[in-house]
Amino acid sequence: MTEEFMDLEQKDGIRMTWNVLPGTGQEATNIIIPIAAIYTPLKPSPMTLLPYSPLRCSPCRAVLSPFSVLDYVAEIWTCPFCYSRNRFPSYYPSLSQQNPPTELLPEHTTVEYQFQHHQYSIPTPVYLFVVDTCVIEEEFEFLKSALCQALHLIPDNAIVGLITFGTHVQVHELGFPQMPKTHVFNGNKEVTKDQLLDQLCFFLETPRPTVGVVAGPRDGLSAESIRRFLLPATDCQFLLTSMDPWYVPSDERPTRCTGTALNVAACLLGACVPGSGARIMAFVGGPSTKGPAPIISKTLSEPFRTHNDLKKDNVPFYDKAVEFYKNLSKQLLHQCHVLDLFACALDQVGVAEMKSAVQRTGGMIVLSESFGHSIFKDSLRRVFQSTDYDIGLSFNGIFEINCSKDIKVQGIIGPCASLERKGRLCSDSVIGEGNTIAWKMCGLDNQTSLCIFFDIATIGDFNEIVRSESNQFYFQFLTYYQHSDGRMRLRSTTISRKWVSGLSYKQDLLPGFDQEAAIIVMTRLVSFKMETEPAFDPIRWIDRSLIRLCSWFGDYQKDRPSSFNISPRFSNFPEYMFYLRRSQFVQVSNNSPDETAYFRIVLNRENVSNSILMIQPTLISYSLDLSPKPVPLDVTSIADGKILLLDSYFTIVIFHSTTIAHWRKAGYHKQTEFEAFAALLQAPHNEADRIIKERGSTVPRLVICDQYSSQARFLLAKLNPSVMHGSDNRPPGGEVIITDDVGFQEFMDHLLQRITNV
Amino acid sequence: MASTQPPPTRPRPGYGTNPNPNPNLNSLVGSVQNMQIGNRPSQPPPGPAYVGGIPPQPNNHFGPPGPIVRPGPPPPHSSARPVGAPAGFVAGRPLSAPMVNNGPFTSPPGGPGPFRGNPPQTISSTSGNQGPFSGGPVPQTLNGPSASQTPFSGAPMTQPAVSGGPFASHPPPSSQTPLGGRSLPVRPPFSGPPSSQPPFPGAPPQSSRPPMMAAPPTSQSPFMGPVPSQPSITSTPPASQPPFIGGPFPMFRQPFPGRPPSSQLPYGPGAGQAMPNPSFPGAPPPSQPFNQMPQPPSHQFPGSQMVRGPPGSGISHGSQPWSSQTTQSSPQGMLGMSSTMAPPPPRMYGMATQAPVSPMMGHSPGSTPSKIDPSQVPRPMPSGSSPVIFETRIGGQASIPPPATSDFIVRDTGNCSPRYMRSTINQIPCTGDLLSTSALQLSLLVQPFALPHPSEEPIQVVDFGESGPLRCSRCKGYINPFMKFIEQGRRFVCNLCGSVDQTPRDYLCNLGPDGRRRDVDERPELCRGTVEFVATKEYMVRDPMPAVFFFLIDVSMNAVQTGATAAACSAISQAIADLPEGPRTKVGVATYDSTIHFYNLKRSLQQPLMLIVPDVQDVYTPLHTDIVVQFPECRQPLEQLLENIPIMFENTKIAESALCAAMKACSLSMKPTGGKLLVFQSVLPSVGIGSLTSREAEGRTNISIGEKEAHKLLQPADKNLKTMAIEFAEYQVCVDIFISSQTYVDIASISVIPRTTGGQVYYYYPFSALSDSAKLYNDLRWNVTRPQGFEAVMRVRCTQGLQVQDYFGNFCKRIPTDIDLPGIDSDKTIMVTFKHDDKFQEGSECAFQCAILYTTVYGQRRIRVSNLSLPCTSMLSNIFRSADLDSHFATFLKRAANDVPTNPLSHVREQVTNLCINTLHAYRKYCATVSSTGQLILPETLKLLPLYTLALTKSVGLLADGRFDDRSYWINRAFILSTALCVPLVYPRMIAIQDLASMEDGMLVPPVLSLSSDQVTDDGIYFLENGEDALVYVGNSVDTDVLQKIFGASSIDAIPTQFVLKQYDNELSKKLNEMVSEIQRQRCSYLRLRLCKKDDPSGILFFSYMIEDKTPSGLSYLDFLVRLHRQIQTKMA
Repeated sequence: MTEEFMDLEQKDGIRMTWNVLPGTGQEATNIIIPIAAIYTPLKPSPMTLLPYSPLRCSPCRAVLSPFSVLDYVAEIWTCPFCYSRNRFPSYYPSLSQQNPPTELLPEHTTVEYQFQHHQYSIPTPVYLFVVDTCVIEEEFEFLKSALCQALHLIPDNAIVGLITFGTHVQVHELGFPQMPKTHVFNGNKEVTKDQLLDQLCFFLETPRPTVGVVAGPRDGLSAESIRRFLLPATDCQFLLTSMDPWYVPSDERPTRCTGTALNVAACLLGACVPGSGARIMAFVGGPSTKGPAPIISKTLSEPFRTHNDLKKDNVPFYDKAVEFYKNLSKQLLHQCHVLDLFACALDQVGVAEMKSAVQRTGGMIVLSESFGHSIFKDSLRRVFQSTDYDIGLSFNGIFEINCSKDIKVQGIIGPCASLERKGRLCSDSVIGEGNTIAWKMCGLDNQTSLCIFFDIATIGDFNEIVRSESNQFYFQFLTYYQHSDGRMRLRSTTISRKWVSGLSYKQDLLPGFDQEAAIIVMTRLVSFKMETEPAFDPIRWIDRSLIRLCSWFGDYQKDRPSSFNISPRFSNFPEYMFYLRRSQFVQVSNNSPDETAYFRIVLNRENVSNSILMIQPTLISYSLDLSPKPVPLDVTSIADGKILLLDSYFTIVIFHSTTIAHWRKAGYHKQTEFEAFAALLQAPHNEADRIIKERGSTVPRLVICDQYSSQARFLLAKLNPSVMHGSDNRPPGGEVIITDDVGFQEFMDHLLQRITNV
Repeated sequence: MASTQPPPTRPRPGYGTNPNPNPNLNSLVGSVQNMQIGNRPSQPPPGPAYVGGIPPQPNNHFGPPGPIVRPGPPPPHSSARPVGAPAGFVAGRPLSAPMVNNGPFTSPPGGPGPFRGNPPQTISSTSGNQGPFSGGPVPQTLNGPSASQTPFSGAPMTQPAVSGGPFASHPPPSSQTPLGGRSLPVRPPFSGPPSSQPPFPGAPPQSSRPPMMAAPPTSQSPFMGPVPSQPSITSTPPASQPPFIGGPFPMFRQPFPGRPPSSQLPYGPGAGQAMPNPSFPGAPPPSQPFNQMPQPPSHQFPGSQMVRGPPGSGISHGSQPWSSQTTQSSPQGMLGMSSTMAPPPPRMYGMATQAPVSPMMGHSPGSTPSKIDPSQVPRPMPSGSSPVIFETRIGGQASIPPPATSDFIVRDTGNCSPRYMRSTINQIPCTGDLLSTSALQLSLLVQPFALPHPSEEPIQVVDFGESGPLRCSRCKGYINPFMKFIEQGRRFVCNLCGSVDQTPRDYLCNLGPDGRRRDVDERPELCRGTVEFVATKEYMVRDPMPAVFFFLIDVSMNAVQTGATAAACSAISQAIADLPEGPRTKVGVATYDSTIHFYNLKRSLQQPLMLIVPDVQDVYTPLHTDIVVQFPECRQPLEQLLENIPIMFENTKIAESALCAAMKACSLSMKPTGGKLLVFQSVLPSVGIGSLTSREAEGRTNISIGEKEAHKLLQPADKNLKTMAIEFAEYQVCVDIFISSQTYVDIASISVIPRTTGGQVYYYYPFSALSDSAKLYNDLRWNVTRPQGFEAVMRVRCTQGLQVQDYFGNFCKRIPTDIDLPGIDSDKTIMVTFKHDDKFQEGSECAFQCAILYTTVYGQRRIRVSNLSLPCTSMLSNIFRSADLDSHFATFLKRAANDVPTNPLSHVREQVTNLCINTLHAYRKYCATVSSTGQLILPETLKLLPLYTLALTKSVGLLADGRFDDRSYWINRAFILSTALCVPLVYPRMIAIQDLASMEDGMLVPPVLSLSSDQVTDDGIYFLENGEDALVYVGNSVDTDVLQKIFGASSIDAIPTQFVLKQYDNELSKKLNEMVSEIQRQRCSYLRLRLCKKDDPSGILFFSYMIEDKTPSGLSYLDFLVRLHRQIQTKMA
């Protein structure tokens, strides 16, 4: 059943919670799980690339699609969204029934148009490195070598700039041959773009325009003056000169003005390349302690904020910093620039505060404890490498939605920002970035997935409503973006879904329920609510949703839990919900605010299948006698003589049970007569490597551990604690999880009880 | 702790002949080299001589034997008398031989002896006066200039002008003569023309003469010149004459009689100048002087000078009251002015004044000028260049110091050297009323780091150990020779506040029969006017700072294009070679245009890293460390950088300058240490904090405002810079600004910073890369090498009865009593004014103590304490007699400089003139006995005051038509100027150089000419210098041969306007170069040479220095005197 949805996803990059939609608003509320789509705009697929601009409906701007009705004789097409009739322009190639336009072919629900560039040369992507120098020497060396490597990988046509920061912000003038030269901005002080234009002497030779938004070559910035700071990677050999030399007392944290550095970077890009694709790649090695957005004071004894502090509103710096980054994100959005954050420190660096800037601009995030860690190194490499696993970094996206008039758009949770283009499609109830039908996606890649929430506008009993011919709802997703080759493209995905209404609508809906998509939508929604609604109780909300959903769709006799029965379409859903309750997204107090922010940023940009891993990881068991097989995510899966491979998306754990570990330590795998054992040991590694390679921009952490070792906690934390202290169903060599949490079985028992009690 | 007993292991802990750490050798040497532009190696011996400033020979200090040991030939006559004359002449001889420069200094063995003045024991009794010559030895001098002689012999040479002759011949005689009574009379100086020297009894062979003659002429001329008129003069009693001529002769003064011969010794020779005063004190009854004409209070003119119109008295010149008017003996000069001149002496001073007041005059004004003989008017006597020995106290009495401009060697016998502190009056009026009656100023000119004469003993360093220097518990005054120990030494009385303190146990010492501690002579702090104490932790708020030199260079378009940037870089590059050595020396470099560029010079970096601070509204330092780095480490990258800077900015288009922001950023970089910030600036700061506008131009366009409020342009534009400057001072950053510009840069505003931080402004306008680069380098070099201190705090204390009223100079004052000096150096002078708050007893002494706590360039914390104790008097005449012309004029100058920015010019000029008039009037009214109102009577000591006052009113700072920057610069300069340089600033020295070649060997600087266009002829070449600038004026019809020799050009037109003095292979050129070097050495300044031609703007500039001429803006000297006279008469009436 899931397969059909995956096929649909394969074709159009879209998964919906309900693939059959309720026909009225009331019905839509009854079904608990919101109507939502998870759409991956740039999902690689063998779609057709059309070398011309799309044909659009003149009133609603919808793009010609297979669902448009075509009158070949009159050369007129009818828009499925607004029913307007549009003429084909004369230049369209010979229209005929036999030779319909490509975009009208039924299989071309998703097509891409490539625009022709006339007036401007193809813009090249800009990478502005913003590097923290307040780190220990070892880290600094790691960082240096990583950056050098990155510089080699960067495509030759790319433009590069460098800003370092510590106590102050240093903008490196790479195009100054005589000696290394930097412009040092005060770490305490925000600058505006105008100040920056003055202070970096951009208008030395040409008079500065007195009006308008002044920036870029169009306003008189000479190419030379821009080339001082941003120049082609081939011409640029920057050396990270030195660490921040400011003295740090032993009881203090280094003075680090991350906020100012990003502010300066944003202004520099805003001045030089506004509107053209550029990424600020921030490499941060510790918390910001100075400037407009410190997250903590310099006193080392002061502890970092925790979720608890945030809940109690007990963090002096937090709100101000959040506000700062919100403004920064606005500026970046305005300029179409992306903020990528590489946070590598044992401490928190303020991801929680920066989250909005990263997420809204569609930036990448990497969180690791050191610049020497493979997570960081591989992630950085992955940004630039152009191999089979190319993540297809793209810039400057604009995402638009068209849909049938009975559908309203509530909003999007995902890496995008509202363009505040209101329309009749906007729903009054807003979720995420709403109140608009167009969004900005400054940065996006192959995997970037948006979660779009819909509302059914039709009110009242559907029978009384006279509907037009079809019982289909149409959706069209349009994504303009600057492809990594520099050219502008438009991807258009148009889909249609059947709607049902009336007495039997409950049954009719069932086949269209995508429980995987549903759990992901619920996850994004619960995360979003946790962030935005102060008094929100996620556990209660999850439980209530589940109970209501089950009572609505399930069959049962009151007070008889065992009588409960529900469609197989929902089979896994309670389990997903169980794991969601236990996940890092809900149980935040196990993590720092930074980690939580990180998990959520990643969650909000991932597609369904990867997101599922974050909720309910996969567990594969390897043993000598059996071929690898998935096993339940349960503590009982731990057994002697087995190697377990856990993939929880962020972490991949290879777990050696006691015996295996013992053998390995004894070195049997190095002896020829135990080749099988060696192969067994190697197998999960191969699998892990494969996973890591395919994972895309987020590189998982690989943990290799033995039973009873401390690292084993990465596995145990994810398992269903079905065996607890005192349980007797313990397999040989098994494990006991010491926890107060309930196991899945117990959870289900309670659940059924509640449902049938209502 | 001070050692208690003499012998202990730690004899005197800190006393030692310490190499005075402060004046650093190199710097001194440097000072000399300074003068030599390019060729250091060729540096003449003087260098070393200077070095000697440091402790010469150990035995020096204690070697009274010196004289005795003297290798002199057999001691023929020990008696001075007979020998006297010959000796004198002999001395003349040496003239030629002993070169001025080295002679005196180089001969250590001999030198010391005489200076020591100790010899007396042996000889004193016998040869009383001879002492100086060390009795025996003297005679031998005949045979050869004995070492001992040299010092003196040297003197004559330079002294030539006035004293020269007399001296040379005199010393001996003089000393004797006095004894005998007026010996002078012998000399009818006037009777003969200059050459008439013979009159001297001892008139030596001509040989000695000439030199003197040569010199004297100019200066003497006033007196000598009028030979023709002499007749009238002659009539004057011979006795009186001498004074005129011989200012030199003063020696005769009573001093001798009064004081023990021994003490005199030193003066014998130099007598001329130094002597006079001591005599006063010595003279028993204060009134004496009056009766005894001999009192030549003035240095130069022994006798009071009375110039009178013929009618006034038969004795025209003779001011010589003595003979004619005994009563009038007081030191005073009288310019007789009467309209009723007798025909014969028409040339005399007599003049017709129009002043109706004067009953005697009734003449038409028109005739006035002609009635005065310009040559009779008082003019400065050339100061000799041969050193005179000056003992600060003699016989328990303060001596009156020689003129600041003269060459003298100080022996500190309790009072500090006048170089360090100089009072405007050397006897303190007992009451404030008395002071106001005299209309004189009471101020001290303090120059704590003044360059000592190379032959002077270095300042001794005293270490009191952990307890720190002994101080009065009430006023915190430091232990000094005038604190009185009582009760067997158990307690001591503070001479400043009078409170009594317990003597610390380890400082106890018994008193001798004379009531003095027995160890006085072993403890510098009890027998020297100036000592340095080692500061303890108590005196430090942090570790003493290292010597930090930060160079800030303008690289804006204008600076680069005019070559100023390149000149600055090259100057720095060369000058860093002379920075104080050692690991504590740190340097930094920054450049600026519209932004500020720092350079990280840390050695580990391959290339310096350039760090730009772009925000000039709110500046900061871009790096915490590595901007100011240890010098030796970064020398190579630094040099490389300095070479690159001009190239790097070669094509810059940035015309804006963020000077003030740049200074602030640098000061922030220097904040942890403090130090010297040397700024090179070329254009008006136009952006960033503290930016300025071209006010001058605005003032011009808006004439109505311009007229009324012109002086406002001499005030800082706003308070920002002052605030900034105070902040710099807090960080102990001392800012010197080298302005090499071609436009208005608003020095009035910018100078606030150096002025508040103890720095100074250098000004090269209009800057020429060709001719100013050398000066820039030399100025910079001297700046970093001269003796100096950092993070200093200074306070002057004085005996109760007086209190400090105010300080003037470059410093930051945060609390009323102290002044903060982030930097202080040998060129800076601070004027301290006092007022009475109580009375003094006649005969008591009033003490002044200047204490300056500072850090040496090598990072030691020291307290330099100078003490000056002066007698109090209730006699107005004493006050006048002890007035000090140079320091008096310095106060005039500094006050005027202070007033110019806040008052309309006419006001200031009037005020200055009134100061002069009031003083003369007071003298006339209370001291002069001459009743005739037809005479202008001048106190002998202050007889040049009118001339200098006139010069002041005609100086750049007080002329309305000058550029504002020029005037601001002038004001700034006046603020810090040492006493010795104040007069030259307004009354430059002019020298004829075309005949230099014929000048006698050994004489480096020919006699000066008075500043009157009469002196300038068309066939002459003149050299005029004011200590900073030098003009070379070439007449229209100068002999081409001379042109060729001096300029290497065949005609005037062929000499480039931006010319650089070169040395050619001929005598004339060589002498000229030697002369310039000598002058530069004297002034501690590399002169900015400028060529002037007649009928050219430059010629007009030259003639604007002819102070005595009538100009559109001022009276001629003679007219000025007439005016003074008239006003005094008005007041009298």
